[in-house]
This record gives sequence, structure tokens and C-alpha cells, in this order.
Amino acid sequence: MSEKENSKSFMSSMMSWIDRRFPVTENLERHLTKHPVPKKVNFYYLFGALLMVVFMIQVITGIWLMMFYTNTEEGAFASIEYIMRDVEYGWLMRYMHSTGASAFFFLMYFHMFRGLLYGSYQKPKELVWLFGCFLLFLLMAEGFLGYVLPWGQMSYWAANVILSLFGAIPYIGPDLQVWIQGDFVLSGITLSRFFALHVVVVPLLMIALVVFHIFALHEVGAGNPEGVDIEKHRDAKGMPLDGAPFHPYKTFSALPAMGIFFIVFFAIVFFAPTGGGYLIEKPNFEEANFLKTPDHIAPVWYYAPFYSILRAVTFGIPFLGITSKFLGFIIFAASIAILFVVPWLDRSNVQSIRYKGIYSKIAMILFASSFITLGYLGTKPVNELRTLIAQICTIFYFAPFILMPIYTKYEKTLEVPERL
Amino acid sequence: MKKFLILLIPLSIFIYSAGENKCGSLEKCDYYSADVHDTYSLQRGLGIYMNYCSTCHTLELLRWNRLQRDLDIPETILIEDLIANPDIKIADYMTFGLPEVSAIGAPDLTLRTRVRGEDWIYTYLRTFYEDPEQLTGTNNLVYPGTSMPNILVGLQGIQTLDNDGTIKLKSEGSLSRAEFDDSMKDLVNFLAYASEPARITREKNGIFVILFFIIFTAVMWLLYREYAKEIK
Ligand code: HEM
Repeated sequence: MSEKENSKSFMSSMMSWIDRRFPVTENLERHLTKHPVPKKVNFYYLFGALLMVVFMIQVITGIWLMMFYTNTEEGAFASIEYIMRDVEYGWLMRYMHSTGASAFFFLMYFHMFRGLLYGSYQKPKELVWLFGCFLLFLLMAEGFLGYVLPWGQMSYWAANVILSLFGAIPYIGPDLQVWIQGDFVLSGITLSRFFALHVVVVPLLMIALVVFHIFALHEVGAGNPEGVDIEKHRDAKGMPLDGAPFHPYKTFSALPAMGIFFIVFFAIVFFAPTGGGYLIEKPNFEEANFLKTPDHIAPVWYYAPFYSILRAVTFGIPFLGITSKFLGFIIFAASIAILFVVPWLDRSNVQSIRYKGIYSKIAMILFASSFITLGYLGTKPVNELRTLIAQICTIFYFAPFILMPIYTKYEKTLEVPERL
Repeated sequence: MKKFLILLIPLSIFIYSAGENKCGSLEKCDYYSADVHDTYSLQRGLGIYMNYCSTCHTLELLRWNRLQRDLDIPETILIEDLIANPDIKIADYMTFGLPEVSAIGAPDLTLRTRVRGEDWIYTYLRTFYEDPEQLTGTNNLVYPGTSMPNILVGLQGIQTLDNDGTIKLKSEGSLSRAEFDDSMKDLVNFLAYASEPARITREKNGIFVILFFIIFTAVMWLLYREYAKEIK
């Protein structure tokens, strides 16, 4: 026997030894080398892979930051500046982490919009979508918790705004707020519990959900912008005719996308890490001071659309004892909750916007333009006109979903082709 | 309907009312974006800081030896001329022996440039004018009612406010207007450096990281194209 064959048989007997005890080969084939993905998809289908990349960036840079960060009221702000100045490459870790947060949301919003456009939430992908929605919720919580940690002015006062929403819940509100804060005011106690949640609890849940998300997706198979079911036509070996193995075809299409992502990402990290005050807000370079409220409290851009919805509610329901603040909180929560039920709102017989009718198209334009407008308004101080526009946009945000069961059922759709 | 909606986006930009970009009592700050790569300018800025600002303002997050390294300052000059105090070590922060809380409320300046913005600082330093109603005898267009005295008056000369709200030079200082503006640019450069010393390396080396990813993308793109051919 030649040396080469010898080593080969050693490798394969080693693999079968492992495979009998731990299914490595089976899973590699199931998820990578034999897992079929549609041949033809567009750039929207790359955001999921980029989300995984950003998640990894956040975990790695986060671990580094955690080594030097101090989670106390006295030490937090100074420890961030210590990281920025005295820790080797600390500034890089911090800017990557802060830019990564924005990138995470940016990619997430596109990833979800893809789902809405191409009906990726439809049967049998409801759970893929649902796990995704939980991930959005967790990411929003994670971002909020993390934003408090530098203990700057905006950390403090933005957190106050959000915590006071819990306080606005009738009857239990004030006690609930104190319970969450662990103190009568937002203090160092709150900071250190937020730290624990930000670095352990939420990331662990997110990792679990990403795994569920991918497992569910690989169970039912990835979609495509045409909404064609590739499982229908298979070759003799059972591989879908319009499919290709995940590895190498999908993996190698993700790499140039990753390259482009990193070019943009590092351009921001190195040349505009504060993003003109939109990625790291100016008041956050001043330590939290509970005696001094900043002139204008603005959320970071990625919360701005939701903050706008919150502020757009300027009225309550007095006879039910519901204040405008609490109603705002309810509608803000509803704006996220409504995403969870989208799979059951869509009654269309086609998946993709390409074959849906005119009302679905109008609905998507309505939704997207109101989301962007709300986002813009959320970063600005209120005035009467802006509040009015925010109110109109809030209606336009909800209308596409609320009316979905009606227009998707009755509108005229186009015939979906058999093959990709 | 659809057109109306598409109108919403530009509309929301129009309602961007003036006033939010306001620079104190001015409509807008004079544009200035700091350059931290001109070491001589940073040194000149440091000089102005040491002569005029360090009597009241600390730089409590900047260490002497970091300054020495980044601004190429010879050790003897650092120890004898700048620190000039045998009790202070070179790894200490630049607090100039000032109390932690300033008697007249002068804030620490290490991070102020990041809080206010470079434009704001640059404009603020140049818009002091005579105002007998103020305790200090001067007032400021960008920060009306500031308790900071106009310590730069000797360089800039005395300015007064006209009835139409513009500033006039009443008597000459030791510098011409252009020279004074340049000095203030040096000072803002120095302050921008102090607020983020890593900015020097950040802006210098970022381009290599980006070049790396441009090459990476190109190679990966070619690789992807080869694979994509197989499934066409
Ligand atoms: C941590 C956040 C997330 C990660 C890491 C992630 C990752 C991925 C990956 C890798 C894919 C397959 C590739 C692709 O289609 O782009 C995918 C597909 C999908 N994701 Fe996510 N995702 C995240 C959040 C979300 C959210 C918030 C939603 C929506 C609420 C969502 C909905 C979907 C859907 C519907 C698909 C299937 C698309 C199809 O094949 O038709 N994901 N996700």
C-alpha cells in the first residue's frame, strides 16, 4: 500500500470512528455539501450570511471590551476612555463594536424587508420568520442595554425615557420600573444588571435563536425571489434541478459580499466612527449627570422609526385611565408585535411581490416610505407639523399589515412559472 | 396616492427647520474640520493651550508621555518647559495642578471637542466681544453668557458687537485676522487630538485595511465567478 492510500484510509477510519459517536459527516452533508439552495437568488439573499458575520464581530469585540470595561457608576465612563486611549487597539475594538451595532440593524432591516417582499414568511417558513422576529426583539433589547454601558449623558437620559415607559403602565407601572431599575432612580445598580443582561443573557438567547432559525430554514429549504418551489423538479439523485449544493455555491457567493460589507464597515470604523453623531451621539462623550437633562434627547438612528411612533401618540383614552404615554407604549409594542403575525395575515396564493397584485405593491411602498420618514422624524425635535406627519406615517406603517388579509385575498395575481 | 407618499420623504427633509443647527445666537457655526496629522500645527496648538488655557482647564484624560510620543516632543523640553514641576511624572495626566472642580466652572477640556463639535469650538474661540453687562466684560456669540473671560484678546484685539449683530474689530491685537484664525485652527487641531489621540493612527492606517478588503473582494469575486459558471 502506498503511503498516500495509507493515510487516506487512516483519515476515513478516523472519521467513521467519530461518526459512529458524533454525526459529523451527516451534519456536514445535511447543512453544507448536500443541502440544496436555489440557483438563482438576488443580493437580498446575502444579508443573512452578513448578519452572522456581524454577530461574530460583536461577540469577539465584545469579549475584548469586557476585559477592560468597569460596570460601576464611578468607573464605567472612565473605563471607556481608558479603552479608547490606553488599551492597545482598544479604540478599534470599541468602534468596531459600536459600528457593528448599527450594521447589525441595517442588515436586519434589509433582511426582513426581503422577507416581506418575497413572502419568505409563508408556509412552511412561518417558524423561520417567527424565530427571526424574536431575534429582532432581542437585538433591540441588546442594543438598548449596551447603549447604557458607556454611562454618557445620552446613555443615561435615553434609558430614562425607555424605563419611564414601564412606569407608565397603570397600577403596576411604578413598582415595575423600580424592580427593573433595582433602585428608585436609574443608577449604578441598574448599570451592573444591564451589563449582565447585555453580555450574558441576551447574547445566549440570540445564539440559540440563530441556531433555531437556521435549522428551521434548512428543514424547509430556502426560498427565492420568484417564489418558485424548487423541490418539485428533481434529477435522478434527488437534487432539485433548480438547486445547487450550499457548499461551495452559496458559501462562495457570500465571500465577495462579505468583502464589500467589510469595505463599507471599515470605512466607517476608520474614517467616520461617530457617523456625524448618528452612530455615537455627541452628548455621550460627557459623563452621565442626573442633574442635567440634555436639550434634546434623540435615540440612535436604528430606534428612530419606533421612537417616532411612540411620540406620535399625543392622546390617551382618559375614561379607561390610559395616558398618552402608555398608549404610545402600546402602539410602539404593537408595531413590533404585528411583524410576528405576518405569516397569518398574508392570504395570497403567490409568494413573491413580483407576482402579487398592485395593492401589495402599494402596501410595500407605503410601508417602506413611512418607515424611512418615521426614522428621519425620530431623530429630530418635535413640532406640530412633524407630529402630524409622524401620525400619518404611523397609520401607513400599520395599514399594510392590518389590511393584508383583505387585499392579498382579493387582488389579482400573476401566474408563477414552474422553474427558476 | 402613491405619488403623495413618495412626496413624504422629500417633504420631511424640507420641514427641517432652521434653528436646530443653530450655533448659539448665530445661524450656523463656521465650518472647520480638524486635521490631526500636521504635527507642527499640533505643537503650536499645544503652545497656545499651555499659555492661555491651562491656567483654568485640565486635560484629565491625556498623559504627558502620550503627548510627548504623538507630538514628537523632546524629553528635555517636555520635562523642563512643559511639565516644569519635579513632582509630576511623565505618565501623569495633564491636570496642571488645578483642583478637580474649577472655581469658576471651567470644564475639563479632554472630551469637550467631541461633545460640542470642532465647528463649534472654532467659532466660539473667535466670537468674543465687549459687553460691559457681563462680569468678565466680554460676551460670546456662540455661547451667550459664558463665564469664560476673553483670554485671547491680546492676540485677536478687542471686538465689539454692532447693532446689526455683526462683530467689528475695535482695536488691533498682536495678530492679523488671518493669523489669528490660523492659530485657532492649530488650537482646535490640538483639542481634537486630545479628545481622541488614537485618531492619528486611525486615519493614517485605515486606508490599508480598506485596500486589503478591496483586493479580498476582487479575488473572491473571481473565485465566485468560476463556481457560478458550473451551475449556469
Ligand atoms: C441575528 C439575526 C439573524 C441572523 C443571523 C439571520 C440569519 C439568516 C440566514 C443565514 C439566512 C439564510 C440566508 C438568507 O436567506 O439570507 C436567513 C434566512 C431567513 N431569515 Fe434570518 N437572520 C436573522 C434575523 C432575522 C429576522 C429578524 C427575520 C424576520 C423577522 C428573519 C427572517 C428570515 C427568513 C424569512 C429567512 C428565509 C428566507 C428564504 O429563504 O426565503 N431573520 N436568516
